Amino acid sequence: MRRCLVILLLLLCAGGAYANDQFSYSGYLQSEVSLRINHANGDLTKFKNIFQIAGQYKIIGDELVFFSKARYWYDAAYDLRDKMDIAQHYQGHVQRTDWLRDCYLDYTNNPWFLRLGKQQVVWGQSDGIAVLDRVNPVDLSEYWLPDMEYIRIPLWMANINYSPKLDSNLQILIIPDFEQSTSAAIGAPFTTYSYIRYDNWKKTVGGVDENLYFPGKNFENSTFGVQWSDRFADMNYTFNYLNGFYYSARNATIHLSGPYFGPFSYWKVNRSFKRYSLYGASFNKSVTNPGPLQGFTFRGDFAYYNDEPMYYGNPVTASSAGIKRWNNIMWVLGADRYVFTKWLISGQYGQYILQHSKPNDPRPQYNYILNPYTYGAMDPVENIFSLKISTYFLNDRLRPEVLWSFTDDNQGRISPKATYEIKDNIWLTVGVHYFYGHLLDSNGQYRDQDQAYMNLKFTF
Amino acid sequence: MKKALFLLLGMLLIAGPACALELEYFKVYKPADGMSADEIMQIENFVKYTKCARDAQFEGKAYFIDKSGAVRERETTRVRITLGRKSDDIAYKDLVMFTAPTQVKGLATLTWTYMDPKRQQDSWLWVPSLRKIRKISAANGDDSFMGSDFTVEDILTRRYEDETYTLLGSENFKGYACEFDKKTYFQGAPCFVIEAKPKRSPWYYSKRVLWVEKNTGGGIYEEMYDPTGRMFKTIFKDYQIYKVDGKDYAAQVLLEGKDLRTGHRTVIINTKITFDKGLSEAAFTERALSESRW
Repeated sequence: MRRCLVILLLLLCAGGAYANDQFSYSGYLQSEVSLRINHANGDLTKFKNIFQIAGQYKIIGDELVFFSKARYWYDAAYDLRDKMDIAQHYQGHVQRTDWLRDCYLDYTNNPWFLRLGKQQVVWGQSDGIAVLDRVNPVDLSEYWLPDMEYIRIPLWMANINYSPKLDSNLQILIIPDFEQSTSAAIGAPFTTYSYIRYDNWKKTVGGVDENLYFPGKNFENSTFGVQWSDRFADMNYTFNYLNGFYYSARNATIHLSGPYFGPFSYWKVNRSFKRYSLYGASFNKSVTNPGPLQGFTFRGDFAYYNDEPMYYGNPVTASSAGIKRWNNIMWVLGADRYVFTKWLISGQYGQYILQHSKPNDPRPQYNYILNPYTYGAMDPVENIFSLKISTYFLNDRLRPEVLWSFTDDNQGRISPKATYEIKDNIWLTVGVHYFYGHLLDSNGQYRDQDQAYMNLKFTF
Repeated sequence: MKKALFLLLGMLLIAGPACALELEYFKVYKPADGMSADEIMQIENFVKYTKCARDAQFEGKAYFIDKSGAVRERETTRVRITLGRKSDDIAYKDLVMFTAPTQVKGLATLTWTYMDPKRQQDSWLWVPSLRKIRKISAANGDDSFMGSDFTVEDILTRRYEDETYTLLGSENFKGYACEFDKKTYFQGAPCFVIEAKPKRSPWYYSKRVLWVEKNTGGGIYEEMYDPTGRMFKTIFKDYQIYKVDGKDYAAQVLLEGKDLRTGHRTVIINTKITFDKGLSEAAFTERALSESRW
């Protein structure tokens, strides 16, 4: 009902758009089809139709503006494919909390800018690697394949900005809302291998009592963030601090009675969210002065995660022995440059450096930090690379690009795509996602899920 | 003999820059008979980038028309603040926002242009699909501007210092028959005809022949020649005078660029133009870009 009211409000705003320029709106209808190309017959993995409408109403000129965006989708692949039936309820049409993508009030009166309501806040400079981009939880039901705007789950928050001088800004975030990061349900194409292994374990041991404990709804449990941004010597930089609950719940598994595998076995799995802190910084700089580096843009993110909850256990049996609160570091450096006319090359290199200590489990085979996606073993230092090449043809009508992201474990993803503007309001995108690597690596877990896809978008 | 030659060369080097005018920001200049090609082109450059005005806003439409006549449209709002500030070398700052169609709505580029002609621009892009600001490398001068038939250099980055100039003469312009609105522009308008050759070599063009209108100082028509000497592009710009506080500001109202190799055309029409509205420089910052809603 509430959803209908918001959509009705947006449509009313849309109607008013013709009356004066206080109202404006836009939207689209998009059809997304993807096929698993490893499968001999081309297995349909997505047939998703998305409707989105956004509207803004200027209450007092540009000083006070209300903005809202709603999105509804239905994925018919879960109806059409028997083997995906099990995921139907969670993946096929349930919108959870993401149907209302934005709903906020903007107040602008320089040097103040306030954005109050449901929104996304993005920190950091890196593309596709969430070093500082951790203000909002994420929906990984299609892994990290969609645009980040789709992946982030918006939260209700107060976003308060004050600019004491030109090009500087102090941002304070108060986020009383909480949503957990989500991933694909069992039976979906991009279910994480760790979830599959956990589900298999549940079936093996029989009775499992699962409990999920959310943070209590009080002000003390809010997430708080501060960002200072400024410019020094032609370089833009930020300092960031975030303190809040980690958006992925971590399991604590307890065996209560009976033999491990047997009719009297009783297991309890408590999932809870742990509070952690992020201390970070970012920068960007284009070399504008003449010299060998002229034309390069450099950017970087650095983050220190204090008390980041990590699984440890046995990667061979996929057994999590518990959680460690570690202090980890992640950084990414990127460089972009147009190398030839209209060819842009963008590269990134980063590291995820885990705290240099052992989990100290008395059983040696359990002394591994586990990759949360797969329950495979994580390296103490993960080296991460990405390379993107993009260009355009036919007066910007055809835009091909290829993204290759990989780590030093010989695993990664190659995603070429091309977007073609059929008309002003009709756009076609075709592409492929090719995964490779070991089954226990983040991208390698989907090595049998290579996708060819086509998106057709009608905008209004 | 050698000494005399060096002395003569030295005098010429000193005399060269002396030909250039010392143009002050926020003043209105027009070319006049008797001026050198360098002086005329300095004024043309000054007029092109509206350095006479403290700020300017252009709301307009761009039409991309292919050989078959199929048309694609973009709507943009472009805002500029002129600073001419020596302390941080900033000449002016531009903000270009796409307002239609929906697929590109919200896409916005913030560009800072420096007074030092050797410096590239600083650019930031607001990417709606990422909901974030992305610092971007300066595009090459010969890249297409927003997919149009104009290059980045044609619209944004070509400086007076990038070319050498020869005055070919003075004549009444034959008139430009605009294919888009079927009107004939500037028929009989007194113009200087100037040949401009890029200092950079090899480059995508070998020369431009430019008609600079005497009344506005605007380069109203140009023919571009490729390195083999063949004309490959024409650009027409309709300049009109706007009266602002008693001053005559020349502004580009209509631009038509034709690629003679592909038959593709781009037309940009600025439907609403305002000057000196007292825009704040705070509107040309990363924070302002991040306030985007679309």
